[in-house]
Amino acid sequence: MPPAGHRPLDPSLPPSTEVDNDDRAPYTPGSSSSLSSSSLYKHLRTPSTSSLNIRHPVDLRAITYDGAVDENLVCPICRCPLVDPVLTECDHIFCRACITDALSNTKLCPIDRSPLDSDGVSRAPKMVHNQLDSLKAKCPCCASSFARSMLENHVEKYCPEANVKCPGIYSEKYCKEVVKRRMSGRGCLHYPVECPDCKETLLLVEMEEHREASCNEKLKACEHCGVNILRCKESEHHEECPDVIRPCNWAEYGCQHEAKRTDLHLHADECSFKLVGPMADTLKKEIKLLRSDMRSLAETNHLQERRIKFLESAQRASDRPMELMDLSLANLPESANTEPLDSGHEYLLSLLESQQSRLSQLSNELTDFQGKNTMMLLNETIPIKNELSELRSTQQVTCMHVRWLMRFRMQENQRRFGGSPGPGPSGSPDGGGSSSDLPFSRRLSDSAPRDIITKL
Amino acid sequence: MAALPKRIIKETERLAKEPVPGISAVPHEDNLRYFDVSIHGPQTSPYEGRDGTVKHTHVHLSNVHVGGIFKLELFLPDDYPMTPPKIRFLTKIYHPNIDKLGRICLDVLKSNWSPALQIRTILLSIQALLGAPNPDDPLAPDVAKRWKEDQEGAIATAKEWTRTHAMT
Repeated sequence: MPPAGHRPLDPSLPPSTEVDNDDRAPYTPGSSSSLSSSSLYKHLRTPSTSSLNIRHPVDLRAITYDGAVDENLVCPICRCPLVDPVLTECDHIFCRACITDALSNTKLCPIDRSPLDSDGVSRAPKMVHNQLDSLKAKCPCCASSFARSMLENHVEKYCPEANVKCPGIYSEKYCKEVVKRRMSGRGCLHYPVECPDCKETLLLVEMEEHREASCNEKLKACEHCGVNILRCKESEHHEECPDVIRPCNWAEYGCQHEAKRTDLHLHADECSFKLVGPMADTLKKEIKLLRSDMRSLAETNHLQERRIKFLESAQRASDRPMELMDLSLANLPESANTEPLDSGHEYLLSLLESQQSRLSQLSNELTDFQGKNTMMLLNETIPIKNELSELRSTQQVTCMHVRWLMRFRMQENQRRFGGSPGPGPSGSPDGGGSSSDLPFSRRLSDSAPRDIITKL
Repeated sequence: MAALPKRIIKETERLAKEPVPGISAVPHEDNLRYFDVSIHGPQTSPYEGRDGTVKHTHVHLSNVHVGGIFKLELFLPDDYPMTPPKIRFLTKIYHPNIDKLGRICLDVLKSNWSPALQIRTILLSIQALLGAPNPDDPLAPDVAKRWKEDQEGAIATAKEWTRTHAMT
């Protein structure tokens, strides 16, 4: 730990002159306060930059080591270079944390399963520690390489990318934020400012990164033609920039030539692919067309196959005589299939045609069959209908008979029990009664006699 | 879930960079503790899924394994490597130490687990178990009984199961 006020001799630290750098002036909130605040910072900064340091415990298992680490220096449990190595009674080396964890589960050495207690574990030899300390590893903040033992010190005191307390913590602001060490020399930067390019309001501490990387309104010189363009339009510009190096138009057919966009037409006249290129292009188009044709044909073929299958199954289910025709039909495409065909296309087409004709034949058969079926149905239903009407008329006749008999019986009964004339039309003589009954029974049609029967 | 320990990341990287011959273990994208494992049946075992007459060199040349490939699932619990990974066969297999649900009877997966063991060493142990079934410490008693009484018949069944389940 260096004494207060001591400046560490680290080249990566920003030079002290930057403190009074004027480029900070436009960002300060008010011109009147800028003078007082800068003098205030000057006063506050002088005690030491180390007073801003935060403790940075570096996780030695999370850092990246340079190159492959000797397998003998790797802990068998965490598979990382050993951290605080210890030696067991059975001569195996582990990280202290790893073996303690393992022994809390089982009191056996993880390597040879010999009984082991936490008392049987002691600090590894100095040589092992030294070897581990000299391993080169990358700083998790600035990615430069250091010996592992120096890493924590570097991050805590020198690394320009490591976070430190904001110097504002010592001002009236008591700013509790953190800043990267390289920014800490400029006082508290945690106040909002407007980006001069895109007018977005950001904290000053984020402004540098914003202007460097993400601000879309910032002008940038094109790396090819040198013209200033907006960063967000960069890719669009590259599409039309005359100085961008482009491959020859026929590069995909093997031309190796590359030239600036403006000079490409000069090459086009002498390109050895100028004849082959267009031809290949047309051929490509043709192939594409044929491919799509083939695909659509295959699709329709598939569809028709499915329809044929469906129709076949429908036929098989419906009729037996049809099966005979089916067989004769099945012979047809087979003969077509055996014909010698040179190309796959022709074969596909012929298959398609045969299947189409087969399909139309099948649909014809089906309509014929449907016609036959309806005729048959009609032939069978007509006599049944006739019979039904006959039966209906006979039923009516029998109904009339029953009714007549019933009335006759009722009249007889009335005559027998007291001879008083009933309320019905029974008072009239037999002949008249029957004649007046007839239209009545006919008007009631079927329902009336049935009622009587059920009541009986 | 807690962040993935460095050890799991290292093991996964090494499995991808230097794969064990005949074994592959690929973590799920959405859960890096869950691995899809496939193990090729060891040569000259009933799980090889090939007749002994075929030359092995031919297979190596074509770089495509035509024999039995057994799928497993592997899960690393939160306290791995202090506790063993959970492994189960997904492919049906006729083996005295592997039961109907695919659970494996292997000492290093249970009492003899050590945090110094790794995914690759455990998968090698399982491949070795396929090459050397141990009917004296069975998990599937019926298979183990048959293995002891009628070893030829049991091996024939194991070959048949390999053909039907591990060679699709």
